[in-house]
Amino acid sequence: MDELEYLLVVIIVMAISTYFTRLIPFLLFSSGKESFILNYVAKSTPPMVMMILVIYMLKDVNYFSSEIFYTFLALAITIGFQVYKRNALLSIVAGTAVYMFFVQL
Amino acid sequence: MIRSALKISLPIMFGFVPLGIAFGLLFQELGYPWYFASLMGIIVYAGAAQFMAIGFLSAGLGIIEIAMSTFFLNSRHMFYGLAFLESFGNWNLRKLYLIFGMTDETYALMTTIKVPENYNKERYYLYITLFAQIYWVLGCTIGAISPGFLTFNTDGMEFAATALFVVLLIEQWIMVRRLLPFILGFIASIFALTFFVNHMLLIAILISIGSIILLRIIKTNNNG
Repeated sequence: MDELEYLLVVIIVMAISTYFTRLIPFLLFSSGKESFILNYVAKSTPPMVMMILVIYMLKDVNYFSSEIFYTFLALAITIGFQVYKRNALLSIVAGTAVYMFFVQL
Repeated sequence: MIRSALKISLPIMFGFVPLGIAFGLLFQELGYPWYFASLMGIIVYAGAAQFMAIGFLSAGLGIIEIAMSTFFLNSRHMFYGLAFLESFGNWNLRKLYLIFGMTDETYALMTTIKVPENYNKERYYLYITLFAQIYWVLGCTIGAISPGFLTFNTDGMEFAATALFVVLLIEQWIMVRRLLPFILGFIASIFALTFFVNHMLLIAILISIGSIILLRIIKTNNNG
Protein backbone atom coordinates (compact mmCIF):
# COMPACT_ATOMS: atom_id res chain seq x y z
CA MET A 1 0.00 0.00 0.00
CA ASP A 2 1.45 3.38 -0.87
CA GLU A 3 0.88 6.39 1.33
CA LEU A 4 -2.12 7.83 -0.43
CA GLU A 5 -3.83 4.43 -0.55
CA TYR A 6 -3.25 4.08 3.19
CA LEU A 7 -4.72 7.55 3.78
CA LEU A 8 -7.74 6.75 1.65
CA VAL A 9 -8.37 3.43 3.42
CA VAL A 10 -8.06 5.16 6.82
CA ILE A 11 -10.56 7.83 5.80
CA ILE A 12 -13.06 5.27 4.49
CA VAL A 13 -12.71 3.04 7.56
CA MET A 14 -13.18 6.02 9.87
CA ALA A 15 -16.20 7.16 7.88
CA ILE A 16 -17.87 3.75 8.16
CA SER A 17 -16.98 3.42 11.84
CA THR A 18 -18.34 6.87 12.69
CA TYR A 19 -21.51 6.39 10.70
CA PHE A 20 -22.11 3.07 12.40
CA THR A 21 -22.09 4.67 15.88
CA ARG A 22 -24.69 7.17 14.71
CA LEU A 23 -26.84 4.55 12.99
CA ILE A 24 -27.07 2.02 15.85
CA PRO A 25 -30.02 3.49 17.81
CA PHE A 26 -32.08 3.76 14.64
CA LEU A 27 -31.36 0.13 13.78
CA LEU A 28 -32.08 -1.13 17.31
CA PHE A 29 -35.29 0.76 17.98
CA SER A 30 -37.81 1.12 15.24
CA SER A 31 -39.84 4.27 15.68
CA GLY A 32 -43.17 2.47 15.50
CA LYS A 33 -42.75 0.71 18.84
CA GLU A 34 -43.59 3.03 21.69
CA SER A 35 -41.70 2.18 24.82
CA PHE A 36 -42.35 4.07 28.02
CA ILE A 37 -38.80 3.75 29.34
CA LEU A 38 -37.26 4.59 25.97
CA ASN A 39 -39.40 7.71 25.69
CA TYR A 40 -38.44 8.77 29.17
CA VAL A 41 -34.73 8.26 28.42
CA ALA A 42 -35.02 10.17 25.14
CA LYS A 43 -36.62 13.10 26.95
CA SER A 44 -34.17 13.17 29.86
CA THR A 45 -31.00 12.72 27.83
CA PRO A 46 -30.70 16.23 26.31
CA PRO A 47 -30.53 18.12 29.65
CA MET A 48 -28.08 15.53 31.04
CA VAL A 49 -25.91 15.63 27.92
CA MET A 50 -25.91 19.44 27.85
CA MET A 51 -24.71 19.53 31.46
CA ILE A 52 -22.04 16.94 30.67
CA LEU A 53 -20.86 18.78 27.55
CA VAL A 54 -20.50 22.08 29.44
CA ILE A 55 -18.42 20.43 32.16
CA TYR A 56 -16.41 18.57 29.51
CA MET A 57 -15.55 21.83 27.75
CA LEU A 58 -14.44 23.40 31.03
CA LYS A 59 -12.46 20.47 32.36
CA ASP A 60 -9.10 21.63 31.04
CA VAL A 61 -9.27 25.15 32.45
CA ASN A 62 -6.15 25.84 34.46
CA TYR A 63 -7.38 26.82 37.91
CA PHE A 64 -4.10 28.34 38.96
CA SER A 65 -3.73 31.01 36.29
CA SER A 66 -5.53 34.04 34.93
CA GLU A 67 -7.39 31.63 32.60
CA ILE A 68 -9.86 30.87 35.35
CA PHE A 69 -10.63 34.58 35.68
CA TYR A 70 -11.43 35.33 32.05
CA THR A 71 -13.14 31.97 31.50
CA PHE A 72 -15.60 32.77 34.24
CA LEU A 73 -15.98 36.34 33.04
CA ALA A 74 -16.81 35.08 29.52
CA LEU A 75 -19.20 32.50 30.98
CA ALA A 76 -20.93 35.16 33.08
CA ILE A 77 -21.37 37.38 30.04
CA THR A 78 -22.75 34.50 27.96
CA ILE A 79 -25.16 33.49 30.73
CA GLY A 80 -26.18 37.10 31.42
CA PHE A 81 -27.02 37.83 27.79
CA GLN A 82 -28.87 34.55 27.39
CA VAL A 83 -30.98 35.02 30.51
CA TYR A 84 -31.89 38.64 29.74
CA LYS A 85 -32.00 38.71 25.92
CA ARG A 86 -32.63 35.06 24.95
CA ASN A 87 -30.64 35.60 21.75
CA ALA A 88 -28.27 32.65 21.34
CA LEU A 89 -26.06 34.24 18.70
CA LEU A 90 -25.61 37.44 20.70
CA SER A 91 -24.74 35.54 23.89
CA ILE A 92 -22.20 33.35 22.11
CA VAL A 93 -20.54 36.16 20.18
CA ALA A 94 -20.32 38.41 23.27
CA GLY A 95 -18.84 35.67 25.48
CA THR A 96 -16.43 34.49 22.81
CA ALA A 97 -15.27 38.03 21.98
CA VAL A 98 -14.40 38.69 25.62
CA TYR A 99 -12.64 35.33 25.88
CA MET A 100 -10.63 35.94 22.69
CA PHE A 101 -9.65 39.41 23.85
CA PHE A 102 -8.06 38.03 27.01
CA VAL A 103 -6.46 35.00 25.32
CA GLN A 104 -4.77 37.18 22.71
CA LEU A 105 -3.78 39.93 25.17
CA MET B 1 -37.40 28.21 6.09
CA ILE B 2 -33.82 28.07 4.75
CA ARG B 3 -33.09 31.51 6.15
CA SER B 4 -34.51 30.63 9.54
CA ALA B 5 -32.44 27.41 9.62
CA LEU B 6 -29.34 29.33 8.55
CA LYS B 7 -29.84 31.87 11.30
CA ILE B 8 -30.39 29.26 13.98
CA SER B 9 -27.33 27.29 12.80
CA LEU B 10 -24.96 30.29 12.97
CA PRO B 11 -23.81 29.60 16.56
CA ILE B 12 -22.45 26.28 15.26
CA MET B 13 -20.43 28.17 12.66
CA PHE B 14 -18.47 29.99 15.34
CA GLY B 15 -17.49 26.66 16.81
CA PHE B 16 -16.92 24.63 13.65
CA VAL B 17 -14.99 27.03 11.42
CA PRO B 18 -12.09 27.73 13.81
CA LEU B 19 -11.97 24.10 14.95
CA GLY B 20 -11.96 22.96 11.32
CA ILE B 21 -9.16 25.42 10.55
CA ALA B 22 -7.15 24.03 13.47
CA PHE B 23 -7.66 20.53 12.07
CA GLY B 24 -6.70 21.63 8.55
CA LEU B 25 -3.49 23.27 9.78
CA LEU B 26 -2.45 20.09 11.61
CA PHE B 27 -3.40 17.99 8.59
CA GLN B 28 -1.22 20.18 6.40
CA GLU B 29 1.81 19.18 8.45
CA LEU B 30 1.32 15.54 7.42
CA GLY B 31 2.21 16.50 3.85
CA TYR B 32 -0.82 15.02 2.09
CA PRO B 33 -2.72 16.95 -0.60
CA TRP B 34 -5.09 19.48 0.97
CA TYR B 35 -8.28 18.04 -0.54
CA PHE B 36 -8.00 14.95 1.66
CA ALA B 37 -8.72 17.23 4.64
CA SER B 38 -11.91 18.35 2.87
CA LEU B 39 -12.73 14.73 2.04
CA MET B 40 -12.45 13.82 5.73
CA GLY B 41 -14.76 16.67 6.63
CA ILE B 42 -17.22 15.45 4.03
CA ILE B 43 -17.31 11.69 4.66
CA VAL B 44 -16.01 11.23 8.23
CA TYR B 45 -17.41 14.45 9.74
CA ALA B 46 -16.36 13.95 13.35
CA GLY B 47 -14.31 16.57 15.17
CA ALA B 48 -12.53 14.60 17.85
CA ALA B 49 -12.03 11.55 15.62
CA GLN B 50 -10.43 13.64 12.89
CA PHE B 51 -7.97 15.14 15.35
CA MET B 52 -7.22 11.64 16.59
CA ALA B 53 -6.65 10.57 12.96
CA ILE B 54 -3.74 13.02 12.66
CA GLY B 55 -1.94 11.00 15.32
CA PHE B 56 -2.89 7.70 13.68
CA LEU B 57 -1.72 8.80 10.26
CA SER B 58 1.63 10.08 11.43
CA ALA B 59 2.17 6.87 13.40
CA GLY B 60 0.95 4.67 10.51
CA LEU B 61 -1.41 2.78 12.83
CA GLY B 62 -3.17 -0.41 11.66
CA ILE B 63 -6.62 -0.26 10.09
CA ILE B 64 -8.31 -2.45 12.74
CA GLU B 65 -7.02 -0.27 15.58
CA ILE B 66 -8.19 2.83 13.75
CA ALA B 67 -11.66 1.36 13.18
CA MET B 68 -12.00 0.36 16.85
CA SER B 69 -10.66 3.62 18.30
CA THR B 70 -12.95 5.64 16.06
CA PHE B 71 -15.90 3.53 17.12
CA PHE B 72 -15.18 3.97 20.83
CA LEU B 73 -14.40 7.65 20.56
CA ASN B 74 -17.73 8.28 18.82
CA SER B 75 -19.82 5.76 20.74
CA ARG B 76 -21.56 8.52 22.70
CA HIS B 77 -23.41 9.27 19.47
CA MET B 78 -25.34 6.03 20.00
CA PHE B 79 -27.32 7.81 22.70
CA TYR B 80 -27.90 10.91 20.67
CA GLY B 81 -30.08 9.14 18.11
CA LEU B 82 -32.57 8.15 20.83
CA ALA B 83 -33.97 11.68 20.85
CA PHE B 84 -34.76 11.52 17.14
CA LEU B 85 -36.22 8.06 16.59
CA GLU B 86 -39.57 9.66 15.76
CA SER B 87 -38.71 13.06 14.42
CA PHE B 88 -36.36 11.93 11.65
CA GLY B 89 -39.33 10.37 9.88
CA ASN B 90 -39.38 7.42 7.53
CA TRP B 91 -36.34 5.72 6.07
CA ASN B 92 -35.12 7.65 3.07
CA LEU B 93 -31.98 9.46 1.92
CA ARG B 94 -32.80 12.45 4.07
CA LYS B 95 -33.02 10.35 7.20
CA LEU B 96 -29.74 8.60 6.35
CA TYR B 97 -28.09 12.01 6.03
CA LEU B 98 -29.64 13.36 9.25
CA ILE B 99 -28.22 10.34 11.07
CA PHE B 100 -24.84 10.82 9.40
CA GLY B 101 -24.77 14.48 10.45
CA MET B 102 -25.39 13.87 14.15
CA THR B 103 -22.62 15.67 16.03
CA ASP B 104 -22.47 17.03 19.59
CA GLU B 105 -23.36 20.47 18.30
CA THR B 106 -26.24 19.52 16.00
CA TYR B 107 -27.67 17.18 18.64
CA ALA B 108 -27.47 19.90 21.26
CA LEU B 109 -29.06 22.48 18.99
CA MET B 110 -31.80 20.28 17.55
CA THR B 111 -32.94 18.87 20.89
CA THR B 112 -33.25 22.40 22.27
CA ILE B 113 -34.89 24.46 19.54
CA LYS B 114 -38.59 24.47 18.80
CA VAL B 115 -39.26 24.06 15.09
CA PRO B 116 -41.84 26.67 14.05
CA GLU B 117 -45.23 25.00 13.60
CA ASN B 118 -45.66 25.82 9.93
CA TYR B 119 -42.32 24.25 9.00
CA ASN B 120 -41.70 20.65 8.03
CA LYS B 121 -39.59 19.35 10.92
CA GLU B 122 -37.45 16.92 8.92
CA ARG B 123 -36.65 19.53 6.27
CA TYR B 124 -35.77 22.08 8.94
CA TYR B 125 -33.44 19.58 10.64
CA LEU B 126 -31.97 18.75 7.23
CA TYR B 127 -31.02 22.37 6.57
CA ILE B 128 -29.46 22.80 10.02
CA THR B 129 -27.46 19.58 9.60
CA LEU B 130 -26.35 20.58 6.12
CA PHE B 131 -25.29 24.09 7.16
CA ALA B 132 -23.36 22.68 10.11
CA GLN B 133 -21.45 20.30 7.86
CA ILE B 134 -20.72 23.08 5.36
CA TYR B 135 -19.15 25.14 8.19
CA TRP B 136 -17.03 22.17 9.18
CA VAL B 137 -15.84 21.30 5.65
CA LEU B 138 -15.15 24.99 5.02
CA GLY B 139 -13.01 25.17 8.16
CA CYS B 140 -11.09 21.98 7.33
CA THR B 141 -10.42 23.22 3.81
CA ILE B 142 -9.34 26.73 4.80
CA GLY B 143 -6.95 25.28 7.37
CA ALA B 144 -5.49 22.79 4.92
CA ILE B 145 -4.81 25.28 2.11
CA SER B 146 -3.82 28.40 3.99
CA PRO B 147 -0.18 29.12 4.67
CA GLY B 148 0.06 29.13 8.47
CA PHE B 149 1.21 32.75 8.79
CA LEU B 150 -1.78 34.06 6.84
CA THR B 151 -4.52 32.73 9.08
CA PHE B 152 -6.39 35.19 11.15
CA ASN B 153 -5.60 34.77 14.83
CA THR B 154 -8.39 32.48 15.97
CA ASP B 155 -6.91 31.82 19.42
CA GLY B 156 -9.72 31.62 21.93
CA MET B 157 -12.45 31.20 19.36
CA GLU B 158 -12.89 27.64 20.59
CA PHE B 159 -14.82 29.20 23.47
CA ALA B 160 -17.73 29.53 21.04
CA ALA B 161 -18.46 25.80 21.44
CA THR B 162 -18.48 26.14 25.24
CA ALA B 163 -20.73 29.19 24.98
CA LEU B 164 -23.10 27.32 22.64
CA PHE B 165 -23.48 24.46 25.12
CA VAL B 166 -23.97 26.91 28.00
CA VAL B 167 -26.70 28.73 26.06
CA LEU B 168 -28.40 25.44 25.21
CA LEU B 169 -28.11 24.30 28.83
CA ILE B 170 -29.99 27.44 29.90
CA GLU B 171 -32.62 26.83 27.21
CA GLN B 172 -32.94 23.20 28.31
CA TRP B 173 -33.56 24.42 31.86
CA ILE B 174 -36.26 26.81 30.66
CA MET B 175 -37.89 23.94 28.70
CA VAL B 176 -37.54 21.06 31.15
CA ARG B 177 -37.76 22.69 34.61
CA ARG B 178 -36.96 19.42 36.36
CA LEU B 179 -33.82 19.40 38.48
CA LEU B 180 -33.15 15.65 38.37
CA PRO B 181 -31.55 15.28 34.89
CA PHE B 182 -29.31 18.30 35.49
CA ILE B 183 -28.17 16.99 38.88
CA LEU B 184 -27.58 13.50 37.47
CA GLY B 185 -25.59 14.95 34.57
CA PHE B 186 -23.51 16.97 37.01
CA ILE B 187 -22.80 14.09 39.39
CA ALA B 188 -22.01 11.72 36.52
CA SER B 189 -19.59 14.28 35.04
CA ILE B 190 -17.72 14.79 38.29
CA PHE B 191 -17.54 11.04 38.85
CA ALA B 192 -16.29 10.40 35.30
CA LEU B 193 -13.76 13.24 35.57
CA THR B 194 -12.42 11.82 38.81
CA PHE B 195 -12.06 8.22 37.71
CA PHE B 196 -12.07 8.11 33.90
CA VAL B 197 -10.63 11.41 32.69
CA ASN B 198 -9.73 10.04 29.27
CA HIS B 199 -13.21 8.74 28.49
CA MET B 200 -15.12 11.35 30.42
CA LEU B 201 -17.87 12.02 27.86
CA LEU B 202 -18.86 8.43 27.20
CA ILE B 203 -18.65 7.32 30.85
CA ALA B 204 -20.63 10.33 32.09
CA ILE B 205 -23.37 9.73 29.50
CA LEU B 206 -23.50 6.00 30.34
CA ILE B 207 -23.73 6.65 34.08
CA SER B 208 -26.35 9.38 33.80
CA ILE B 209 -28.58 7.35 31.46
CA GLY B 210 -28.10 4.22 33.57
CA SER B 211 -29.01 6.03 36.77
CA ILE B 212 -32.03 7.83 35.34
CA ILE B 213 -33.44 4.48 34.12
CA LEU B 214 -32.75 2.94 37.52
CA LEU B 215 -34.45 5.80 39.38
CA ARG B 216 -37.44 5.58 37.06
CA ILE B 217 -37.83 1.83 37.60
CA ILE B 218 -37.58 2.24 41.39
CA LYS B 219 -40.19 5.00 41.30
CA THR B 220 -42.56 2.94 39.11
CA ASN B 221 -42.23 -0.07 41.42
CA ASN B 222 -42.94 2.02 44.52
CA ASN B 223 -46.04 3.46 42.96
CA GLY B 224 -47.57 0.19 42.03
